[in-house]
Amino acid sequence: MAALPRRIIKETQRLLQEPVPGISAIPDESNARYFHVIVTGPEDSPFEGGSFKLELFLPEDYPMSAPKVRFITKIYHPNIDRLGRICLDILKDKWSPALQIRTVLLSIQALLSAPNPDDPLANDVAELWKVNESEAIKNAKEWTRKYAVEN
Amino acid sequence: MGAGGCKFCQFSSGRSRNTNSFDGPSSSQHNISTGRGSILSDGRIDRYVPGVFGSTFCKVNKKTVDRLILQVLGIIGHLVESAPDTPEALQKLNEIADKEEGWIQMIHSMVNIIPLDNPLGPVVITVLLDDCPLPNKDTIVKLSRIFSLSRYGSVKKKKSVCQQRNVCIILGMLAEKLAGPSSVALLTPGTLAYLVSNLEENVEPILTLFSLVALEKFAQTSENKLSIKRYLETEPVNPILKLERFVGSQDYVEAQVGFCAQWCLDNLFVVEGRKLSYESIDLTNINAMLNSRDASEYLKISPDGLEARCDAYLFESVRCTFPIQTGIWYYEITVLSCGVMQIGWATKKSKFLSHEGYGIGDDGFSVAYDGCRQQVWHNAHIEMQPNGPPWKPGCVLGCLLDLQTPKAVFYLNGNEVATHTNVFKFAKTGFFAAASFMAFQHCRFNFGRNPFKYPPKNIPFQSFNAVGVLNAEERVILPRHLKLEKLRRMSVKEDSCTLCFDFKATVTLKPCNHSGFCENCSVQLLSCPVCRASISSMAVDNPPEITR
Repeated sequence: MAALPRRIIKETQRLLQEPVPGISAIPDESNARYFHVIVTGPEDSPFEGGSFKLELFLPEDYPMSAPKVRFITKIYHPNIDRLGRICLDILKDKWSPALQIRTVLLSIQALLSAPNPDDPLANDVAELWKVNESEAIKNAKEWTRKYAVEN
Repeated sequence: MGAGGCKFCQFSSGRSRNTNSFDGPSSSQHNISTGRGSILSDGRIDRYVPGVFGSTFCKVNKKTVDRLILQVLGIIGHLVESAPDTPEALQKLNEIADKEEGWIQMIHSMVNIIPLDNPLGPVVITVLLDDCPLPNKDTIVKLSRIFSLSRYGSVKKKKSVCQQRNVCIILGMLAEKLAGPSSVALLTPGTLAYLVSNLEENVEPILTLFSLVALEKFAQTSENKLSIKRYLETEPVNPILKLERFVGSQDYVEAQVGFCAQWCLDNLFVVEGRKLSYESIDLTNINAMLNSRDASEYLKISPDGLEARCDAYLFESVRCTFPIQTGIWYYEITVLSCGVMQIGWATKKSKFLSHEGYGIGDDGFSVAYDGCRQQVWHNAHIEMQPNGPPWKPGCVLGCLLDLQTPKAVFYLNGNEVATHTNVFKFAKTGFFAAASFMAFQHCRFNFGRNPFKYPPKNIPFQSFNAVGVLNAEERVILPRHLKLEKLRRMSVKEDSCTLCFDFKATVTLKPCNHSGFCENCSVQLLSCPVCRASISSMAVDNPPEITR
């Protein structure tokens, strides 16, 4: 294992000691750069009641480059495609090394509350979200029930 | 693990390099071909073994899926430098696998038609699973039912070794990707009993190997780890303990089994009363080894530091402990598996981007030979494509670095296969022996502790082992749990840099006046991390004090 930067150790310690409400991020047992993440669907969003699994990886040059995050649980959302890739500026060109795992996950949770069909990643979803929002929300709720609720 | 970690994954499903904006997946969705008469012209479809699982999935055309998978298998070795577009076959499979029945058919087809002898077979399985949407828990439960594995069931009689190996690879990959409740659902009592029964003596070593790797991946979920440990304890003798005797075996598959067994016992399924290997290993006369502090996270290194293996779906890399500044040097590796490994030389500037699929030979500061595809890699380009047969288990790759000429020469079983010079445009000195491994690849290094098999004739080379020195700490390759424990105990000073916490914060950015950064981080900044203002200059308080 390459020497782990203290930054990652510190962030991990804080994530475990002071977890963010609605978000759990647990480092992999054998790789301190890989996190198993669960984000709960925000209240009053079509994702309410769901637990969404994500994977988060800190690349070698983190924090100079952004964490790599992807949804593992299927989700019906205009900014998340069917492979779970997320369209979010701070994960791309608006990344700053002052941002953290914690802030990234909060932003993703916020994206669930406020889908943005004008900057789509999943084109068919975004299209429906624009022309028939209630139908799109219905689909999102259905997918949440189907894929993100553990019985 | 991770998106696109595999060396080949970056080419699939519209995932392309150097892109900031996604175009989204293909717009022509679910264009499932139902056409018949689609048999490959080269007749490879004949390998198909019908009805092994008694398929009841009639809507998705089995032959189409089989054909597409064989197409992917045919092109995957050439994908590395080809067009950024997703190959059509991959795209089609992606669409088919978007629906549950399509995904299950893809699993069926992979089990049945991926041949044992193609070194890229496992790669195809990992690429396809990585690239398609992951199944939900219901599908996983369904899949367990379809596999219906058990200790003494009909599976072993009905399915060939090859098909069973494919099942094990698929189980392992899913266990890793779906770590958590779905992985627990996949490890049914029957599946667990099946995998453990494959660790017994009368089983084909290749099946033992992939069952052991699958168990290791299931154990990434704590609940599964407990079930596995409990199950192993019910056996009269822990079967993994028995497998450890194969360490260093002359049979190349058995040697891999032994290595993995030892690794599991040291890192994962620790057995009370057994000394950890690092405490009992004989390191006499070892003066150069693989540097466990300079290796990708998931690479497995033997306790003597001379053997390495990758079971992650990433391109994992490592450098040797010994730096070369000048002179002529030589080392040998023996390949135990015959898949993609890039082996050669790298300076410290060469980056290990295992999640991007970049390793040794994929930047300017490294050069490597891969005997599977028979290619010399430098700066992420194929520099040479020597002729001759691909490497087989037991082949010896010789790597010569001559910094006087300068040149790097590769030999396979004593025959010169390539000479390379371009890397010296990037670096003249500071090289290390280095290697990258794709999933399930494994080799042994000889840095001169043992006599070389094919020493280059009439060349006055030196060996690292004859010259190198290792201190007591450098020689210890700690098991992972001990390493992570050590990390957790580290503390951080109050005045350290807010970005890396490694060095003292001494820099103030101008003109915005934000501070709290060390010099090392500051020089890498394009704009202020706090306010995004552009940086015109930096003010440094004191000379930096290294706190590490």
